Amino acid sequence: MKTFAWFCLALGIEGSVQAVDFETEIMPVLTKAGCNSGACHGAAAGRGGFHLSLLGSNPAADYDAIVHELEGRRTNQAHPEKSLILAKPTGYLDHGGDVVLDEAGPGAKRLVDWIRSGVSRGTAKQLTTLRVEPSRFVAAAFPTTVSLKAMAIFDHGVPTDVSDLTLFSSADPAAVEIEEFEGNMVARIKRPGQHVVLARFLNRVVPIQLNVPLSDKAIDLSSQPRGNWIDEEILQLLSELRIPVSPPSSSNEWLRRVTLDLTGRLPEPSKVEEFVSQDSLDVRSGYVDALLASEAFSDYWTLKFSKLLRFHSLPNEKEGLQAYSDWLRGEIHNGTGLDRIAHQLLTATGDSHFVGPANFGRMVSDARDQAELVGQFFMGTKLGCANCHNHPLDKWTQDDYHGLAAVFSKLERGREVRLTSRGAVTNLRTSEPAVPRIPGFQDLDGPGDHRVAFADWLLSKDNRYFARATVNRLWQAMLGRGLVEPTDDLRDTNPPTHPELLHKLAENFVQSDYNIRHTLKNLAMSHTYARSGTILPGNASDDRFYSHAYGRELHSEVLLDAIADVTGVPSTFKGHVFGVRAVTILDPLEPVTALDILGRCTKAKGCDDNGVANGGLPAKLHLLNGDLLNRKLIDSDGRLNKLLEAGQSDETIVREFYIRAIGRNPTESESTHWCQQIMESDEKKRRDKMEDFVWSLLNSRTFLENH
Amino acid sequence: MNRPHRGCGSLSRRDMLRMGSLAPLGLGLTDLFRLQAASPKAVKAKAKSCILIWLDGGPSHLETFDLKPEAPAEVRGPFQAISSNVDGIRICELLANTAKICDKLAILRAMTSPLGEHGLANHYLMTGYKPSPVVQYPQYGSVVTHLRGANSVLPPFIAIPENRSSSAGFLGDTYEPFATRGDPSKPDFRVRDLDFFPGIDESRILRRRTYLAEFDRVQANIETRDLQSDSAFEKAYRLVTSENAKRAFDLAEEPTEVRARYGPRMLGQSCLLARRLIERGVPFVSVMNTGWDTHENLALQLRDGYSGAKVGVGLIPTFDQAFSALITDLSERNLLDDTLVIVMGEFGRTPKLNTRGGRDHWPRVFSTVLAGGGVAGGQVIGSSDRVGESPQDNPITPNDLACTIYTLLGIDPDLELHTPDGRPIRVNQGGKLIREIVRS
Repeated sequence: MKTFAWFCLALGIEGSVQAVDFETEIMPVLTKAGCNSGACHGAAAGRGGFHLSLLGSNPAADYDAIVHELEGRRTNQAHPEKSLILAKPTGYLDHGGDVVLDEAGPGAKRLVDWIRSGVSRGTAKQLTTLRVEPSRFVAAAFPTTVSLKAMAIFDHGVPTDVSDLTLFSSADPAAVEIEEFEGNMVARIKRPGQHVVLARFLNRVVPIQLNVPLSDKAIDLSSQPRGNWIDEEILQLLSELRIPVSPPSSSNEWLRRVTLDLTGRLPEPSKVEEFVSQDSLDVRSGYVDALLASEAFSDYWTLKFSKLLRFHSLPNEKEGLQAYSDWLRGEIHNGTGLDRIAHQLLTATGDSHFVGPANFGRMVSDARDQAELVGQFFMGTKLGCANCHNHPLDKWTQDDYHGLAAVFSKLERGREVRLTSRGAVTNLRTSEPAVPRIPGFQDLDGPGDHRVAFADWLLSKDNRYFARATVNRLWQAMLGRGLVEPTDDLRDTNPPTHPELLHKLAENFVQSDYNIRHTLKNLAMSHTYARSGTILPGNASDDRFYSHAYGRELHSEVLLDAIADVTGVPSTFKGHVFGVRAVTILDPLEPVTALDILGRCTKAKGCDDNGVANGGLPAKLHLLNGDLLNRKLIDSDGRLNKLLEAGQSDETIVREFYIRAIGRNPTESESTHWCQQIMESDEKKRRDKMEDFVWSLLNSRTFLENH
Repeated sequence: MNRPHRGCGSLSRRDMLRMGSLAPLGLGLTDLFRLQAASPKAVKAKAKSCILIWLDGGPSHLETFDLKPEAPAEVRGPFQAISSNVDGIRICELLANTAKICDKLAILRAMTSPLGEHGLANHYLMTGYKPSPVVQYPQYGSVVTHLRGANSVLPPFIAIPENRSSSAGFLGDTYEPFATRGDPSKPDFRVRDLDFFPGIDESRILRRRTYLAEFDRVQANIETRDLQSDSAFEKAYRLVTSENAKRAFDLAEEPTEVRARYGPRMLGQSCLLARRLIERGVPFVSVMNTGWDTHENLALQLRDGYSGAKVGVGLIPTFDQAFSALITDLSERNLLDDTLVIVMGEFGRTPKLNTRGGRDHWPRVFSTVLAGGGVAGGQVIGSSDRVGESPQDNPITPNDLACTIYTLLGIDPDLELHTPDGRPIRVNQGGKLIREIVRS
């Protein structure tokens, strides 16, 4: 073999005897040089009259563009080096994209060989696996470098080292730079923390996680308490990254946190003292069970899911949304598995004024819109890009997108939701009616309700799309950040911070029959969840490894209810009975001035982010000068007025508001401080100061956030 | 994978070739330099602030800035063209005041777009990007605020009275405009929640701030964090306690004759308010004027305002008074050079009057007007054909207009913004700078 190589070199034919394959050997060169990226020839309209499929998603079209278009001027077999495909990127001819290919490098050489040998298309090989080495890396020291290797395994043939044809790209070039060093691909890590390098070869993308300690001193977390496997996973990464762990939060803080997270309410003052005096794991477990079984839990989680499902009323048809809301709340309250709920959503038909889940398809305008909602809610993925071009960052193709839309194209979305025999969507790639398709999996030929086939596939034994998307959202709701952010953008190119943890959470969720209460309890009982927000030297900058708790702003509905509860003055909402809670208003189109000013999720925006629709300056101005809070403070039936009329002392009043608003008693020094501030003989002035005290308490970060 | 590539308006190889071939015709190096000077990067921006007057619904180009007196009656419409203070520029007779300031205006008569539906067209004109199902592009004011930040107590982007059809898009809620709401021409005009709640005076606001600071100090202590120095509350506090800032919204401070000059109606007083705001350092103010979707009885809506009106108080006379007063006032206060004023709507109107005496949506050609902020006035750029149906020469897309507006505002159109999921998006993608408009 060696002798043969030497023989070739001696003859100066440099391996040209070996036919070069277009798809597996030439296209990667173009991808690696960036030719087919969205900013260059991969743009929908191409660039400079030359169009390539985005990141090489359509080899046949690319071959045609390179070999046949422009009267074949892009390749020149007589003088390969004069081919436009070479002369432009190497800078011999003026190139709008500058010099992107080293004329002496292996890529250029391969192009020359391929052109010289007759621009063959080659025989298509199927890539079965792309393996990267390392797939995960924990640095011992810093700064450091790692060499990166990629092996391709095709359906026939031995594994091939494709490192030089693989595009390694750093998500954050300020932290990690990819360099070529003595023929090897090397990641140079310039900043501590967790980084991701993506390896792209043909249609595969594999993430490589690089973990670099934030400190040069090892830390020992072995004595940290571990309640369950969640803590194991979290502590392992923290210890690799050498991030110190904050102490647990107080009983009061934990109680307020878990009550807000599970029910969207503040803890009852009567519960606070009882809980704090008896706090133990058993008591916590019992308390969480009680929360999970409460009506408040059902109200709050119905609201959360209603936002994800884009609930809104239709013109002159309140009945549909009412039926939908009643059904969803009923299923959540009864503890129906989320898989069963999903199946109903995907397949329901009937009179939408009576069949709740039949409204699912009425919250969107058409089949494409429904495909996007299905992708977002059930798969945690944004299919939208694939409407006009294959998804640049994910595996979704236009066929997937329009195929999924075709699954829903025969649905009639009137009051009576039914399947018809008509209705199709056009695949923008082919301009033909799209073939119904399970994205990334298979076409659905033949008759029948394709929605059922899709639902069966989605909820089949080994399918984890829905489970992963759901547990990630539950994690975000409890911990303040998703293991993948944004939570509707799960894809290979956007890997989780804790891949193994996400995997285990999803498996565990499926084993529990898609029981959200089961997963929420696991999260609530972990020590990770119980950590305080107190920061230590060395963990201040951590915003994704859970070394300390992250403060989260209350959602507008929860805030509105909390203000009503603390002040003792229920809000009034037009068209609702007195005392109704804001979290039960599921229609974002219903005019509620306070919610509009504080900021709420609207249908157009969708709210699969951290959920806080920040009202910004108008919200602050309203709390400062508006009637939402001010009127409740002076209400004669309000808590403050009643306490004052009952002749309560400053100390009692201060304590009462502390415990209601922030779930704890004031410390002695706080109590003294406020009593001194408020002390006033004049009745009117005392009342003013009290109002200002309560106002400030309800505008403090301590109150406005869940810590 | 950010490959450098040619940005909007810079010289391409073809441009150079074309210039090379023009050399024998006497286009020398000076011209080349002038062309280069007109690339966005070389333009020295003069505008520090911007007032965008949005004529919502799509104003008829044939009744405002692009009349066709020679065309058949069904095209010509009811109004005559009059001459202006610039030779050769003729505009509608209902724009008599505007005709006296045409030396300060650049009138773009060959705007063209394929989008004839309000929502889509709004988005295109307000962002320079055609709507996409995936990316919500940000409007001008949001981009400016995002890149410039706030430099006064007043919010950096204010919408009078609000901004209905466009948004901050992927830049997020932080860059949405602050909406004044209400009608500035009404004596009881107040911006919501700017005035103290009854019974709360400044001393109590101050006390609340002190108490609040104490709570936040304790929380920061618990978390062993630094106190946030400029919280959202502080911004709100500074605004409500700054008499000077609040006075910006108080039109009663203006002398009666100034208020009268802008006209008694909402648009006029909104323009006056806009001037007061930019005077106090607000970088971007949008003024919305509704009602331009004149599908029927156009003479009534555009000229009269109500049937039997002796003096027209319709959309055009109201606009004429407000706009001319704004430009004159800015000019007299030496603010015009620093302030880019944009007048536009989402599209024009059909060349032929319909059977109801109105005109329908027509995006294929329409007019916009720019003034101040480094704009070379006294010119018409581009033209429509004989009947105002299609561009005749120098067509300009909303994308080109966006490239030009950002350039005039000193924002590099090639600058990359990022969506929350990291997708890079240029301030402007591929628009051409309208070279003639930039004053050298």
